[in-house]
Amino acid sequence: MSVHLRLVETPAVATATGLLDGAAVLSRRGTESLSGVAPQDLDAHRAVFGVRRSAAGDAAEALLAAIDEVHLTGRGGGHFPTAVKWRSVLAHGLGATVVVNGAEGEPGSAKDAVLLQTRPHLVLDGLVAAMEAMGSTDGVVWLHDGAWASARSISRALAERATAGLADPPIRVVLAPDRYLSGEATGIIRTLEGGPTLPRFVEDPARPWSEGARSVLVNNAETMARVGLLVTGSAATYRPTSLLTVVSAGHRVVLEVGPATTLGEVVDRAWSSPDGRPPQALLLGGYGGSWVSWDVARELHVDADELRRHGLSVGAGLVGPLPATACGLEESARLVRYLAGQSARQCGPCVFGLVAVADLASDLSAGRLTPSGRRRLGRFMGEISGRGACRHPDGALRMLASALTVFGDDVHRHRRGRTCDAPTFAVLPVPGES
Amino acid sequence: MSRHAAVREARPARPSTGDAALRIDPSVCDGVGICAHLAADLITVDSWGYPIVRAEPLRSGSERRQAEAAVAACPRKALRITG
Repeated sequence: MSVHLRLVETPAVATATGLLDGAAVLSRRGTESLSGVAPQDLDAHRAVFGVRRSAAGDAAEALLAAIDEVHLTGRGGGHFPTAVKWRSVLAHGLGATVVVNGAEGEPGSAKDAVLLQTRPHLVLDGLVAAMEAMGSTDGVVWLHDGAWASARSISRALAERATAGLADPPIRVVLAPDRYLSGEATGIIRTLEGGPTLPRFVEDPARPWSEGARSVLVNNAETMARVGLLVTGSAATYRPTSLLTVVSAGHRVVLEVGPATTLGEVVDRAWSSPDGRPPQALLLGGYGGSWVSWDVARELHVDADELRRHGLSVGAGLVGPLPATACGLEESARLVRYLAGQSARQCGPCVFGLVAVADLASDLSAGRLTPSGRRRLGRFMGEISGRGACRHPDGALRMLASALTVFGDDVHRHRRGRTCDAPTFAVLPVPGES
Repeated sequence: MSRHAAVREARPARPSTGDAALRIDPSVCDGVGICAHLAADLITVDSWGYPIVRAEPLRSGSERRQAEAAVAACPRKALRITG
């Protein structure tokens, strides 16, 4: 308790503080091997970030103003303004369930795991502040089954906070199935209402919970950690950075970069080229993101507005460089196949359409796509788009469509029955593959 | 009640108004396909037999009647009229 009191007297950190201030290195799959960024216990957290201010009552509006001021957005690719989301939940009254979404279904991405394992108190400070602002007595840390290191870290942090006498409202850890779509917000809400962890068709995006059910606020772990920055620091000390996961053949690097950093610099800093050459393209955002040619990507800044002008988004923060010696069509066909298999199997266009598209993408990458197959592929992609209850099929199609453009020369070659000279190897990790 | 009776009963007393539109919950739809016959001006089917519902609002009394017939006939209750 005396330690606690001494730290309360420490002045708030005046200098801008990022989320990580370093780069974390992990193995290609799983997050247990994390190194490079030291985990913070409560004392270390407070020494760096300071002590959290309350967001209860009148302070809620001040926090919302700060969230507005720094243009905090969601991490789903659409960059939905966090303050708008909070206000639309508040419009239904106080007492929402508040969820910090750390399920991170993207197989390549590890930024949320790094936050949960090294900055658990920052994430929890954000969650508690959100709960206070929402008048909530039900906090949920949503993780996927198998994320043991993250679950351990959060459980330890919650125990530490209780021991330190913090008056946090009740927070529970909920484990979701380890699937691509387990982090989809409507599936989270459906689970909390007693249903299956599957996306749900929502008529009104501003009210994703069921009629008559308790309102629910879902924010990504990174968004919640950024709320944590605002309630320990301020909008003035906040830095609008992005967390990225860069995937190499043998490992992944999670790093934090500012909007003045180019994707070229990100790759230089964090990617290990297998052949000493720059990549030919990057997959940006996630497996439902977009391929960008290296010539374009290297000059692009990691800035939401600039990326949006190019039809791109940081999304889940995945940066997947494609080595010069790999085949972008083979890689994309693998990913579409994986995404088709991760369908929640509820909507016809996704269940049947994505599998059909994956078959045709495989034909293309194998150099055996017939002219009629080519026409079918175009027709199917048009038919499926925008017709799922969730955006899963749209993401898969976005990725494939970008591949057909970015790897246009390869498409030409493959159509003529010849495949690339590139050796076949998997660049981006897919669960179940060795 | 037969489906046809349901369709007859669903006939509206009033013409279309405002921004009413036919909407589908794709996670409930099983692609039975009756709707595409009853609301041919509003619904086409995709390559797998699942309905593609026009997003634009209902523009006439005829479209409204078609939409209501499709809603009433759907065995999965996947369709509804919003707005």
